[in-house]
Amino acid sequence: MTRKVVHLIDDTAPGGVMRMLEHMANGPALGRSHSHEIRRIRRGSLMAPRLNADVIISHLTVTWMNLPLITGLRAVNPDVSIVHVEHSYTEGFVASHAVPRNRFSTLMRVSYAMFDRIVAVSAPQADWIRRRGFAPAERIVTINPGVDLSPFLALTPCLELSPRVWGLIGRLDAQKGFDLALRAFKAAAGSDETLLIFGEGPERDRLVALAEGDERIRFMGWAENPAAAMEACDAVLMPSRWEAFGLVALEAQAAGRLLVVSGTDGLAEHQRHGAVSVGANTVEAWEETLRILRAGNEAERILRGRQRARRAAPAFEAAWLTLLDTVDAPAVLSNAA
Amino acid sequence: MRCPAERDAHAPRASIIVPAYNAAATIGETLDSLLAQTFADFEIVVVDDGTPDDTLDVVARFDDPRIRVVRQANRGLAGARNAGLLAARGAYIGFCDADDLWEPRKLAAHVAHLDASPDVGISFAGSLFIDAESRPLGLAQSPKLKGITALDVLCRNPIGNGSAAVVRRVAFDRIAWRPAQDSRPWWFDERFRQSEDIECWARFVLSTDWKIEGVPGLLTRYRVNPGGLSANLEKQFESWERMIARMAEIAPAFVARHAPAARAYQLRYLARRAVAQRDGRLALRLMAQALAVSRRPLVAEPTKTCSTLAAAALLSAFGREGYALAERAVLRARSQFA
Repeated sequence: MTRKVVHLIDDTAPGGVMRMLEHMANGPALGRSHSHEIRRIRRGSLMAPRLNADVIISHLTVTWMNLPLITGLRAVNPDVSIVHVEHSYTEGFVASHAVPRNRFSTLMRVSYAMFDRIVAVSAPQADWIRRRGFAPAERIVTINPGVDLSPFLALTPCLELSPRVWGLIGRLDAQKGFDLALRAFKAAAGSDETLLIFGEGPERDRLVALAEGDERIRFMGWAENPAAAMEACDAVLMPSRWEAFGLVALEAQAAGRLLVVSGTDGLAEHQRHGAVSVGANTVEAWEETLRILRAGNEAERILRGRQRARRAAPAFEAAWLTLLDTVDAPAVLSNAA
Repeated sequence: MRCPAERDAHAPRASIIVPAYNAAATIGETLDSLLAQTFADFEIVVVDDGTPDDTLDVVARFDDPRIRVVRQANRGLAGARNAGLLAARGAYIGFCDADDLWEPRKLAAHVAHLDASPDVGISFAGSLFIDAESRPLGLAQSPKLKGITALDVLCRNPIGNGSAAVVRRVAFDRIAWRPAQDSRPWWFDERFRQSEDIECWARFVLSTDWKIEGVPGLLTRYRVNPGGLSANLEKQFESWERMIARMAEIAPAFVARHAPAARAYQLRYLARRAVAQRDGRLALRLMAQALAVSRRPLVAEPTKTCSTLAAAALLSAFGREGYALAERAVLRARSQFA
């Protein structure tokens, strides 16, 4: 029986979420056994829609502003299972923003109580949600996000030479920590090395100022074709200050590019699959890492990353199929009522 | 990072790390105070940080199986603590410098606190200041204990000194990393030879969301060394600025917003140290700098800020003798109110 799945997103949903939804709707198994509809809801909307669905999947950001919407959703769809995917929050985010502890805890507990399942997008994020007690352990499921990786898997991997072209790919936002890698590159890279920065965002001016006309650093703008952007790089750097999962990591590994990450939040998970860890996410540590990597060859890591990326799509589909098939009628409301 | 130390069934519940360098004169008293703890299930890891004096002879005179010694070439305080952390087996880990003393009930208080509060990662308490002869100076650190925020840590360092904290191992391991230049993990950043404590606590609060919380009581006796050079205060401020730059790598927006207030508090702290060193001109200059960067210390703690300013002014106007008279009068008046 085809089950009807409605995905809810608000207007703050980042591009990665949209690509993941496309992947779900078009995936060979997921797309066939479920019909997927995407509904966009205005952030902070007070009117929760009654939805004709078997399962609702919330990709909404949990905020006080969205709390009426989230509680309303539960109230007007009492007989529908609601799954929430936590795309936003991580330990690194709340710590580095000094988010008021008790207030945040209340928001998370109240909001999560409306959902039948919470999907964490990485194991470190799941550990954190569990440790903070935002939801009971039995309602937390870990599923790495997935996108269509075939354009990346079609690229020839960079196995032969040490990297000379480094890539920073993503939104130009303080979150991504591109300033750290850029400063390190300026100090440590040789004249035959290049840093390509793909993306747009609020930090652009500051990053351009940091680059100070260094001709080895090139701002490439938003990449319409992510696989082509990836193809231009030998290695991809992810100096994120916080990151729930980091889809770019998976894409870099699929493309057969060396992946270097800060150990923050979900990025720690990529280290188990061949990514190089920078250690401390400091300019100094990035300098040291760039120096080491430009002299070496990391083919083994790259191949491990690629294998992981090949397994990612089937694993993503299988995990979602299981979840959608086993998610039960809402237990929360009956308890609360 | 996973804790690399082996855990076995016989591991003590707590470890106390004692970094030792040129500590022959004081470490005996320190170890006495630790062995007198009412909570007895602990080990003491003395880290001989390449000390040139006979500190180890003093340690060897203690006949207690709970004392272990780890030796290494000199790496500084941060490096010694890291070596201790690597060797430590307890689920709770305390730090006590080799010239400070713990009150007998200190470890028991922190173990009870950490047992009862599973979301607390660092437990600390206040301290009593003692002089070179271990006599109380009549001064204490009694910081805020509950609801500690990142701002509190940056501005006021409630943990106070390097012998006040007992940490939960699993929480503390969250901030460990393996630097390229060392095969061993670092918890404390060994690039810092000063400000290594505050760097570690600030990094802890800005990169994990484990709680930092205090328990009541003045449970550490913290030795204040007389003398010291004004030049060191300037160096101390430089290392504090490096610490702030490090925090900006982690939390740029937070630091941009709060660095001025934190800087003002730090300058006021250094001004008080300058007063203690009887350098009135430096104290006055530091206070002027403090008030120029932020008025927050003046608004939040007017008495302390004004008294520091007054002491600095008095000292620079009337010199050491005039100041000594005034200080005695103030201390006498305070002890009557206490």
